[in-house]
Amino acid sequence: MKGKDFLSGQNILKRIFFLLIPFGILLFLAFLQIVNLMIFQSEKFITQADSNRILKEKVFPPRGLIYDTNDQIIVNNFIRQDLVLTPNFIDNHSEYLSFISELLDVEKNVLENIFYEKLSEIKPFQSFTLLRNLNDEQLAKFKLNSNKLPGTEIIPSFSRNILFGESIGSTIGYLGFASKQNILNNPKLRNFNDQQIGLTGIENEFDEELRGIPGYRFSEKDVNGNVLEVLDTEPSMKGKNIKLSIDIELQESLYREFEGRKGALIAIEPDTGLIRAMISSPSYDPNYFNNLNFEEIKLILNNENSPLFNRAISGQYPPASTLKPFIGLVALEENIISWKDKILDEGEFFVEGDDRPYRGWKEGGHGEVDMEKAIAESSDVYFYNIAFDLTITSISPFLEKFGFGKSSELFINENNGILPNKKWKLGQQGEFWFKGDTINMAIGQGFILATPLQIALAYCALINGGELLTPRIVESIGGENTKSSSKKIVLKDKKNLDYIQDALIAVVESNTGTANNIYDSELRIAGKTGTAQVKSILDDKKYQEIRENILLRDHALFVGYGPIENPNLVVVAIVENGESGSLVAAPIVKKAIDFFQKNE
Amino acid sequence: MSRKPLDYSINLHLGASKRKMSMDIWILLSVLILSLFGVSMIYSASQSIEMAMRQSIYLFLGFSLLILISFSNYRKMEPFYLYCYWPGLFFLILVLIFPSENSETKRWIDFGIFTFQPSELMRFLIPLSASAFLSRKPLVSNFDYLTVFVFTILATYFVLLQPDLGTSLIVLLSGLIPILLGGLSWVLISLGVFSVFLSLPVIWFSLYEYQQQRIITLFNPEADIYGSGWNIAQSKIAIGSGGTFGKGYLNGSQSQLNFIPESHSDFIFAVISEEFGLLGVLFLFVMYGLLIYRLFLISINHQNRFAKILSATLSMILLAYISINICMVIGLLPVVGMPLPFVSQGGTALIINLVTIGIILSLRRET
Repeated sequence: MKGKDFLSGQNILKRIFFLLIPFGILLFLAFLQIVNLMIFQSEKFITQADSNRILKEKVFPPRGLIYDTNDQIIVNNFIRQDLVLTPNFIDNHSEYLSFISELLDVEKNVLENIFYEKLSEIKPFQSFTLLRNLNDEQLAKFKLNSNKLPGTEIIPSFSRNILFGESIGSTIGYLGFASKQNILNNPKLRNFNDQQIGLTGIENEFDEELRGIPGYRFSEKDVNGNVLEVLDTEPSMKGKNIKLSIDIELQESLYREFEGRKGALIAIEPDTGLIRAMISSPSYDPNYFNNLNFEEIKLILNNENSPLFNRAISGQYPPASTLKPFIGLVALEENIISWKDKILDEGEFFVEGDDRPYRGWKEGGHGEVDMEKAIAESSDVYFYNIAFDLTITSISPFLEKFGFGKSSELFINENNGILPNKKWKLGQQGEFWFKGDTINMAIGQGFILATPLQIALAYCALINGGELLTPRIVESIGGENTKSSSKKIVLKDKKNLDYIQDALIAVVESNTGTANNIYDSELRIAGKTGTAQVKSILDDKKYQEIRENILLRDHALFVGYGPIENPNLVVVAIVENGESGSLVAAPIVKKAIDFFQKNE
Repeated sequence: MSRKPLDYSINLHLGASKRKMSMDIWILLSVLILSLFGVSMIYSASQSIEMAMRQSIYLFLGFSLLILISFSNYRKMEPFYLYCYWPGLFFLILVLIFPSENSETKRWIDFGIFTFQPSELMRFLIPLSASAFLSRKPLVSNFDYLTVFVFTILATYFVLLQPDLGTSLIVLLSGLIPILLGGLSWVLISLGVFSVFLSLPVIWFSLYEYQQQRIITLFNPEADIYGSGWNIAQSKIAIGSGGTFGKGYLNGSQSQLNFIPESHSDFIFAVISEEFGLLGVLFLFVMYGLLIYRLFLISINHQNRFAKILSATLSMILLAYISINICMVIGLLPVVGMPLPFVSQGGTALIINLVTIGIILSLRRET
């Protein structure tokens, strides 16, 4: 009997229907309830939904502050008032924009451009900033008419403010809005799509630390988007403060020394790699960018001296005679010549089979010179001679160890300079490397180019016993100190470094030294002058012609360090078209070292 | 009686014609429409393209499995079905030992690229095993029912430990339905129902406090609007304010302003109601009605005991999910973790549901 029962298909079917009953009842009740909610009670719920708008809005923290090494504040923020709106609360967009345009005296098409672009980017019930930095009059007008402007709020936000304007502008950099490309490349920026982020300089390099983490505000709003109550906040995290190694007083006074001439300066500590001054002249005031002052921005962009270009790290110059100590050092290391060996300099150098002379800068030459004198008086012929015995395959790798040809990676827009070798020339110029190229390179001309920062780092290595430093411009981030690091340069004979330093001292202290004009027994400085040719010239007559055009005049270079007893600062100064390293660049360097001692 | 199990799996009318049922296009269509509708609602609820994309990938995978399985021969699969309870139990234990660290509950196992919810698998494996077990010989003894019952209780217990009240109820149902359909005598059924009523107090006190809270909340959601009743109250506002035609896709203020909790998963019905109104709800009901009707039709028309019990059980589980989820969102039942089949976000649930359909479709073959 049992078995028959269990096998019956009818029986199973009955049970299926039996089990369906509770689900049927449930769904029937559900349907009644849904109709009840959606038809009979819908008005009540529509009112509730409208009155019940809790919006989650991002709250941005102020960017981190930037201090100089003496805790003098360089960059801070001030509060400004922005007009922020939520489009979902606005019925007629065009009417609304006309009203705002008339009320706040802003051109309607400007508003329309911003409005419709942002509208296409945001999600439902998100808000965006329509106008930034309202003035007092606009604020007053808005407050009087706020009841006619649904979904519109005045929200305080932060403006970036550089206290020392131009003098440090190119180092600090400016803020701007993240582009779609920026956001694609860095998804972390998605939170900041309506916010200014650092686009250049320190602001860009340390943007992630400076900008902090946004928080949220949950506020209840009425149908018109007016805030009824702030229910909850999730605090934002303030950006980290940054302490630069820059000494702002030094920076400012040295920037003034350039008097608007084009040029650059780097002052760096040879033991720690901390940069105490970094100047690119002419510079610009980042506040114009941060506060969206478009008229001024236009002037900056159109300025033919390109103030946005940071010459200290991106400018690539022929190192000229400042390269000579390194060529001398290779020659000593390679045993091409000894420290005391003398060469007769009669002002010209000839290569066999080439009629054209390689001329020294001084007519008639320097007479019999050894390396010390050759560096002190900057004899070109001496270096032509040793370059003739050297090869580019030994010079280039040696200079590479001192940091030439490669960015130090302090800033993203730092240039690599050019450290030529045979392969480079074949690839770039399609020509083989000639002996003449090596000879030109011995006096820092020809293909080789270096940034002021590279020259400074190379000189640091000369005087700190062969440590190629990683430069630092930040002493601490959010209270955490940065660490110094360096790479050891292996030399065959360390004594050679002492020789070179003696020569650099002679540049200033010997009566015939090229920078004897800055000699000061109170503050002993060593260094090397350089005159970088903008255009190579064949005879004096042409030279005078070229001088007529200021832009073709030679660049004046000086690299100095001091005090000799215990050097604590290496300074590179370049004055474009300044012609004389000793007369134009060297006094700036001396001033820098002098000022630094007094400020220490 | 030493023959291989399932040799006796019995056709109810031995003389029935061996006709082959054709592929049920209505089932495929309604499942596909529901799932695609789900993906678009998940996007609206979460505002996350990634989440919608992930669901689409699961849909593609699940639907491919559905098609594949629907062509399999269930008679050859029966031995696997009989024993598939064990791997299910293995994963239920595994999840308690190695739960995903992203959640406070122990519901998911994290496999790096995807997470997997063993309880969802279990509520699908138990009907398979139980139906096969209760059809393996012509006479089913009360001991067989007891066996199924005990193993079901064991699995339910492990799911309760996670803790997951909603799914544990479904797991329990997935074992009880085959027993009831299999032919347990009415006397024993009545006895069982009676003893459940007696043990209700015991169950109540063994619930976690938040689970008790949910049941209390059910009866008076408006009492504490920012507390435990908040979810239900907000969900009701969303549904009610949808009205007849709804507020439009992506335009529901309740959904878009994050008033609705878990809006992309368990509460997605509220989002649909708010944005598409009563019309949207009717559309959903029609789709589900069509699907469930066609599924039960297979069970009703089938001549094989195993196939009949299995398809009815699996269809009924889907129906249970649909009705419990909707009742919970509109405030008729307590809030338990239970997604809306094919629509709610959740990879494991979607794939299991699609595979369920695939298995039911495979039963349409008469061999």
